[in-house]
Amino acid sequence: MPPPDRVTNAIDNLISHLIPRDPREDENAAQERHDACFELARNLITSPATSVSADVNHASDLIKRKLIQTNPGQALRFSNLYSRLLALPVLDNKWAILYLLYQLADSPDPSEPLPLSPVKPSAPNYRDAIKKHGRERAKPTAASKPEEQQFKDAFQPEGLKQLPAKEVIQSSDERPSNVESPKRDVSLKSTLLASNYAAVDPPEHAILRDLPFTFQGVSSTTLPFTKQDTLQLPPSLPLPLVSLLHTLAEPSLLYRQLDQYCKASAPGQNGRPLGLLGQSLQAAIGTELRSYLTLIATLEAQIRKALSTMDESAPCGGIGKAGVTLKRCVIWTREATMGLRLMSLIAEESGNKKGGQLISLIHSFSSSHGDPVVAAFAERLLANFTRPFYDFLRHWIYDGELSDPYLEFFVREKSSDKNSGKGKTVGNVWEDKYELDEGMIPSIITQDFAQKVFLIGKSLNFIRHSCGDSLWVEDYSKGASKELRYGDTATLEAWIDEAYKTTMKRLIDLMANKFHLFQHLQALKDYILLGQGDFIALLMESLAPNLDRPAGAQYRHTLTAQLEDAIRGSNAQHDSPEVLRRLDARMLQLSHGDIGWDCFTLEYKIDAPVDVVVTEWGNRQYLKVFNFLWRIKRVEFALLSTWRKCMTGARGVLQNPDPVVTQTWKSTRGVLAEMIHFVGQLQYYILFEVIESSWDELQKRIRNENCTLDDIIKAHTNFLNDITHKGLLGPKRQHPGINESDRASYLSQLSDMLKFMLAYRDSVDGLYSWSVSDFTRLQEADVRTTTRHDVDDAFGSQDNVASEFPVLQERLKHLGTSFRSRLQFLLGDLAYQPDVDLRFLGVAMNFNDVYQPMRRRSKTSQSGTAANTSKG
Amino acid sequence: MPPETTDKHAAAQQAVDILHEISTILNCHLDRRTLSICISMIERGVNPEALAQVVKDLRQEAQAVEHQAATRQ
Repeated sequence: MPPPDRVTNAIDNLISHLIPRDPREDENAAQERHDACFELARNLITSPATSVSADVNHASDLIKRKLIQTNPGQALRFSNLYSRLLALPVLDNKWAILYLLYQLADSPDPSEPLPLSPVKPSAPNYRDAIKKHGRERAKPTAASKPEEQQFKDAFQPEGLKQLPAKEVIQSSDERPSNVESPKRDVSLKSTLLASNYAAVDPPEHAILRDLPFTFQGVSSTTLPFTKQDTLQLPPSLPLPLVSLLHTLAEPSLLYRQLDQYCKASAPGQNGRPLGLLGQSLQAAIGTELRSYLTLIATLEAQIRKALSTMDESAPCGGIGKAGVTLKRCVIWTREATMGLRLMSLIAEESGNKKGGQLISLIHSFSSSHGDPVVAAFAERLLANFTRPFYDFLRHWIYDGELSDPYLEFFVREKSSDKNSGKGKTVGNVWEDKYELDEGMIPSIITQDFAQKVFLIGKSLNFIRHSCGDSLWVEDYSKGASKELRYGDTATLEAWIDEAYKTTMKRLIDLMANKFHLFQHLQALKDYILLGQGDFIALLMESLAPNLDRPAGAQYRHTLTAQLEDAIRGSNAQHDSPEVLRRLDARMLQLSHGDIGWDCFTLEYKIDAPVDVVVTEWGNRQYLKVFNFLWRIKRVEFALLSTWRKCMTGARGVLQNPDPVVTQTWKSTRGVLAEMIHFVGQLQYYILFEVIESSWDELQKRIRNENCTLDDIIKAHTNFLNDITHKGLLGPKRQHPGINESDRASYLSQLSDMLKFMLAYRDSVDGLYSWSVSDFTRLQEADVRTTTRHDVDDAFGSQDNVASEFPVLQERLKHLGTSFRSRLQFLLGDLAYQPDVDLRFLGVAMNFNDVYQPMRRRSKTSQSGTAANTSKG
Repeated sequence: MPPETTDKHAAAQQAVDILHEISTILNCHLDRRTLSICISMIERGVNPEALAQVVKDLRQEAQAVEHQAATRQ
């Protein structure tokens, strides 16, 4: 309490100053009023004071806020005055004075007369009412101040004024006051909260102490792991803490799960072996987990430090001042939690994937995930985890060896059962040893690239194992081997391109020079495709008498002897012995009734590395073409020999006075000439138009600078397809979906015609022998008529003629017409061929329009063919 | 000692000036004398809230007196 005398003095002064002295009032009344006033003032002052927080800032804040609301212009002035006031050394209770001023603010002017009011101003009721009103409105207690202020802002009618006022706050001159006021509020609130803080069980510092263990997936007293994937929270915690712990439980549980994933040994899920890439993924995740543990260790150190310096006696354990709280832990572990989350996602999804698919999975995170954090994380993971993959790759492209025990690379060995299923490609080392598994190609390399890699390894492997040149491969792998790593794709691609070029060059070099691939191809063309004309002519001539006999009477030694003979007799003798060694003559599988011609075949033996180009299938195609050509050759040979016989005979033995016989011979010669023309055209077409042009194409392709073995194989296959298709040997599916009669392919049409020609030749031979016998008989008759002029013999001889000649004549005529009609059908077919070369054959055969091309198809199929041709 | 007291006096004068200015900004209708009496009272530890009430009450009283005088005339 202040010293009473001075205060009373001051009150006296105040009263005498404020209350005017009424000159007409007597001294007593004045004294009485003075006393009354004094009593009132004294009572008020000495009454128990409501607690006002003794804070300079608080009062000035109140004033500022009031000024900003009512008179913004003055607020700045007040701030200036206020700072000056604070600078003054005098006055201890500046805040109190300000508070007083604040209380008196906007008070009515005392010099104005009292407004007339029905209530007596001196009435105690009124006074109380005013007092109460004033208190409620302008005298909030300090402690409840912020709440009340907020309440006012929200509910008072004047509260609305705050809105424009707040906008004023934004003006720059108000900045300091503006900053100050909310801080004030917060500090008040926090003190309030601090006092209201209820003790939790278990206390936060206990939870904090246990938290590092939980993060490492170890049970602790407060936070035990009940099951593999469950964390038990203490039931007595308040809700906010529980939610914090929920957040903190996530990394703990994820860590437990991932830790288990990493520890899972070799047999992965589904009982399958995990694979090198899987193990590597485990290792990479393990590394990440280690860095997580490092973080946890740091966190633990922080927690320990904070707990040791913590003031146990402070309210709520002093945890707020220690620097480590559960909330902070949540923040600190947030990024790690994201990493763990991503890893657990990867671990989960990797369950049924392996090898390249795993890489693709993680690469998809790094390349197409929108979140840069996730992408960066996946990228980091990828760098560690793809190491085994690059090891495979290195082994493959530099050594040509597949070291992939778990079938994780995108190249794999073909399973043998599949191999045996396809008869066509048995034993083809190039095609069948390895295959590319599209599904295993990781998305970090492109399809093109994978193809290249596949080819490199395959070539190296081929060079080493099939070409017997492992020395070179070793040298190469020593010289060129580089460490491949995830990251700079450009360098990797450059290296692989380089490896590709080197390998391919070496392989082609080996094929050309060591294994004489091109020489073999040339030999195939010369001998099997009848390119070496003199050899074939000689062979046919020498074999002809032999082959006319039944197939059963053919002996290999005679055939080989004849072959040898033909080689020696022709230019073939200048060929290299390497090639001639491989040439062989043999009989095909013979069936009943065949003669030697049907079974004879030439053979060119191809062995080990070259057979990847000239495959089993290729060999059969060659054989097919050879047989066809051989047959044509044979028919030509037969026709020509008959023609020769006829021509020489015509000058002597075949001269017959009978016009019928002469006519028959004439027409026969015509048909024979037609046939020879046909065979000639056919042969020309196949040998020159088809084989030579395709050969040219093939040469062009395989002589290409950067052509690979694959290219050669493809070119050769194309070559074979070309000659079989264009050479009228095409498979029946050339005309899909057309009725049965059309199924008769060119091959069967041609072989029919060839049969007709042979039959015709036989008939002509028959006619010839008849003519010869007739001629001899006539000669004899002539001799006889010189002695015995007898006409009967002539008649008798004519009877003899009649006995055989008409049959022969009829037969020849029949064969001639059916040959002609077949030729016309063939021409009709050829005229509508999509292929230009085949159409050209038709034109060449019928250049002077002797034949009427006919179509055997019905109307419906004609339209179908039309569509077919137009499509071509 | 005299210079110190004059210093203090000047400072007090300045304080009263500033406070008076503030009171005019706030429409307190306090003259310099009343203000200095109030300051001295508060400096002696009087509760500002109570003092404000006193000032208000006394003003009412004064108005009542004036009113009385006016009616009596």
